[in-house]
Formats: sequence, C-alpha cells, structure tokens
Amino acid sequence: MLRRIGVVLLGLLATLALAACGLTVPSDPEGTLDRVRDDGVLRVGATHAPPWVVTSDGDEPTGDEPALVEEFAARQGAVVEWRIGGEESLVAALERGELDLVIGGFTDATPWTDRAATTVPYTEAPGPDGAPQKHVMLARMGENRFLVELEEFLLESGEAP
Amino acid sequence: MSVAFGRAELPPEQLDALRRARRVEWWSIAFLAVTIVAVFAVMGNSQAMRTAWAEDLLSLAPPIAFLIAVRIVRKPPTEKYPYGLHRSVGVGHLVAAVALLGMGAFLVIDAASGLFRAEHPPIGTMSLFGATFWAGWAMVAVMALTIAPPILFGRAKMRLAETLHDKVLYADADMNKADWMTATGSIVGVLGIGVGLWWADAAAALFISGSILWDGVKNLRSAITDLMDTRATTFDGSEPHPVIERLEGLLRGLPWVAEAGARVRDEGHVFHAEAFVVPRRRPPSLRRLRAAREACEALDWKLHDVTIVLVDELPEEVGGRSGEEQSEARG
Repeated sequence: MLRRIGVVLLGLLATLALAACGLTVPSDPEGTLDRVRDDGVLRVGATHAPPWVVTSDGDEPTGDEPALVEEFAARQGAVVEWRIGGEESLVAALERGELDLVIGGFTDATPWTDRAATTVPYTEAPGPDGAPQKHVMLARMGENRFLVELEEFLLESGEAP
Repeated sequence: MSVAFGRAELPPEQLDALRRARRVEWWSIAFLAVTIVAVFAVMGNSQAMRTAWAEDLLSLAPPIAFLIAVRIVRKPPTEKYPYGLHRSVGVGHLVAAVALLGMGAFLVIDAASGLFRAEHPPIGTMSLFGATFWAGWAMVAVMALTIAPPILFGRAKMRLAETLHDKVLYADADMNKADWMTATGSIVGVLGIGVGLWWADAAAALFISGSILWDGVKNLRSAITDLMDTRATTFDGSEPHPVIERLEGLLRGLPWVAEAGARVRDEGHVFHAEAFVVPRRRPPSLRRLRAAREACEALDWKLHDVTIVLVDELPEEVGGRSGEEQSEARG
C-alpha cells in the first residue's frame, strides 16, 4: 500500500517537473494566448448592453468593457477584431473557436456558464433592482492560460469588488 | 458499565473495540466535514473535483449508519421485536449501499457524457490573502492533504471491524482504504487540465465515479446476502464462520447425541443458531439440554440465542441425507 502511494507521488513529482521545464501551467488546449500574441489579433464579440457596451452602426463598440478589452489586447501586442451580434450567436461562435472573448454586460449570474468560461468579476454595480451585480466577461471554454492572463489583467485594472 | 448488544453481554475486548470504533467514526465524520467544506471552496469547474466532493459527502453515510446502529442494537428484545434489533445493522448497510450505487451510476453517466461532448473545463485564477494564482494549485493542495487520513482511518477501522464482527464498519474501512485513489485521481485530473489535456478531468471523474459505483455493488451484494439469512461468514464475508463447525463439534461430542447439525445466521454482530440434534436413544433430560445450550453459548460471545431442537432425522440443509435417499431407505 505505502509503496503504491510512493509510486503515485513519484508520478506527481514527475508531472510537476515536466510542467516546470517544458510546459506552462495552466496552458491552452487550443493555444489561444500564443495565437493572439503571434498574430497580433484578439477576436472579440460584443453585444449591445449600455452603459457597459455601446454599439452603433459602422463604428467600433464603446463603453467600459470595450475600453478594458482594447487595453488588454494592447498589452498582448494585439489589436481587437470586433464582431457585433446577439448573445447566442456570439457564444456559439466562441464555442466554435471563431472568437476568443465575448462582452456584453454579463454578470456572474449569466446563464451561459455551460458554454463559456466566465472570468472573475472585474467590477460591481447596482443592477435594475438595486442589488449589486458582479460583472464578468466570457472566454472560450478550457483556454485556461488565456483566462488566467485576462483575469490577472482584470483584477489589476478593474475596480475588483 | 456493562454494554450489551441486545442480550449479548460484550466481553472486555469487544467493549474496548466498540469504544474505540465509535471514537474513530466520530473523528472520521469531523475529518469529512472539514474536507467537504474545503473541497467545496476550491472545486470550481473541475468535474473530477465535483465527483470527489460527492464521494466525500457519501462517505458520511457509513459512519453515521454505524453510530446509529450501535445505539439501536443495545435495546433488548421485546414482545414486538422478539429477535432483538440486531438487524438494524443490516438495514443501515443496505441503505448506504443503495445510496452509493445510485450516486455512482449518476456520476458515471455524468462523467461519460462530459467526455463524450468533449467539455473543456475552465479553471481561472483564485485570490487568497492578497495573492492571485491559478485555482488548480489550490485544488491540488486540498486534495493532497486528504490523501493520508482516510488510509489511517481505514486501517484502524478494519482491525476493529474484525473484533466487533461489524460489517458496516468493515464496508466503511474498505471504502476508506480506497479513498486515496480518489484524491490522487482528482489531482491527476486537475494537473492534466493544467498542461492542456482537457480530457484528463473527465477521465479522472470517470475513474472516481467508477470506484463509487463499484463500492455500491460490493456493499449491496454483501448487505442483501446478509438480509437473506445466508450462512454466517467471517466479518469480511470471505469464508464460513469457524464457530459453526465448533458448535456442531461440541454437540456431536456430547454423550447423549447421535447426530447434530446447525443453522447459523448473522443478525449483525451476533449470531442466532438453531441446532438440530438426534438423540442416541431417548430424549435427554431438561437439565442436560440446558447444560448443552449453555455450553454452546459459552463458545463465543457472538453465539447468542442458541435453540436446540430434538429431531429423529437431521434436515437436509444441515448435513442430513437428501430427500431421495431418505425415501429410498424407507421404501
């Protein structure tokens, strides 16, 4: 029994050692963060949700969230490629890997948690009923290195609650 | 203070084992309570972690069943429950087994469908005491802390289960001993996510839920067998209990006995025995019968409630000749 535990612990140590030299933990199964940095393009979907996201014909979206996203992209040496649409079509595009991030005034109570990875809340504001709501963004499922990079940025720049 | 299981007074060794078993089970519950809270706090979106958490919750059932059962079986037999309340152990065992089986099946399906739909579990950052780090490290740390204690609990319970002849305690010890695999399984799953293998999490969850299901199957089989009045076995169910042979040997050795055979069933902790005896010539005196009964019950503290039945021929199931042979002999 003790020997078997020893073997398992050795295996764990080996995994850790491997992680320390070659791989980064966490990493992206689909390589999102590397692609953003290499291509210099962050593909973001935005849906109209004033005052967080304001979209108007022909222009790039404005508001608190687009500003944060632009700054995050700049830090990665990338520009933002916007796609405007409804929530469902944007989340579906996120799932298909056509987008890296979706914004639109989402809160941590969003019903999209099964299909998108919610970030940590970057700010808190009173909702329609006056109760505070925690605002988040939606990243692609399982792209954990990208998610951690984005969350660290949000915690740093947002007024984290 | 003398403690009894029904009318069976416990010898000092069993008394001590019972006290220690209750203490170990209370410590188990305390440990599980802490683990359940800690795992819940860090589990996030990892399916392996959620499955391990469900297993921790289920692991509460056997200790609770044990503690309740040892209280109930102390009550002496009454008019309404003439055999005493020993079977409460078996009932507790069955309930725990069904819970394990049902939850295990549900979790296996859940993990398999996650794997099938290729769900990529997201694990982001976590902030603790002002530091921000990948939440996976917190999961690994919590699970690593839960590897060792169940193994120690399991070993202690296994010894006590043998002394007390308690199958719920045995089932609990058996589950505890396998618990380290749950913890390491979820660590492997989380580290797998860490290095970008999205399927590692669902695969680990499948492995853990499979072990819960297997626990359920094993326990259900053992609980049902006991409730069906199978021949009494040793505490781990591996072989017929040696006390049956000793009981039959004792009766066969009595001067007035020609043939003897016994039906012994496990009531949970204690055995009920019906001994069939063929006298040599005429039926023995009541004094001799009583002496035989007392000698039987003195064999082992578990042998409790021994009934001696005088017969002219042993029933088939306790070693008598089969029906066909009997009719041939008569014809």
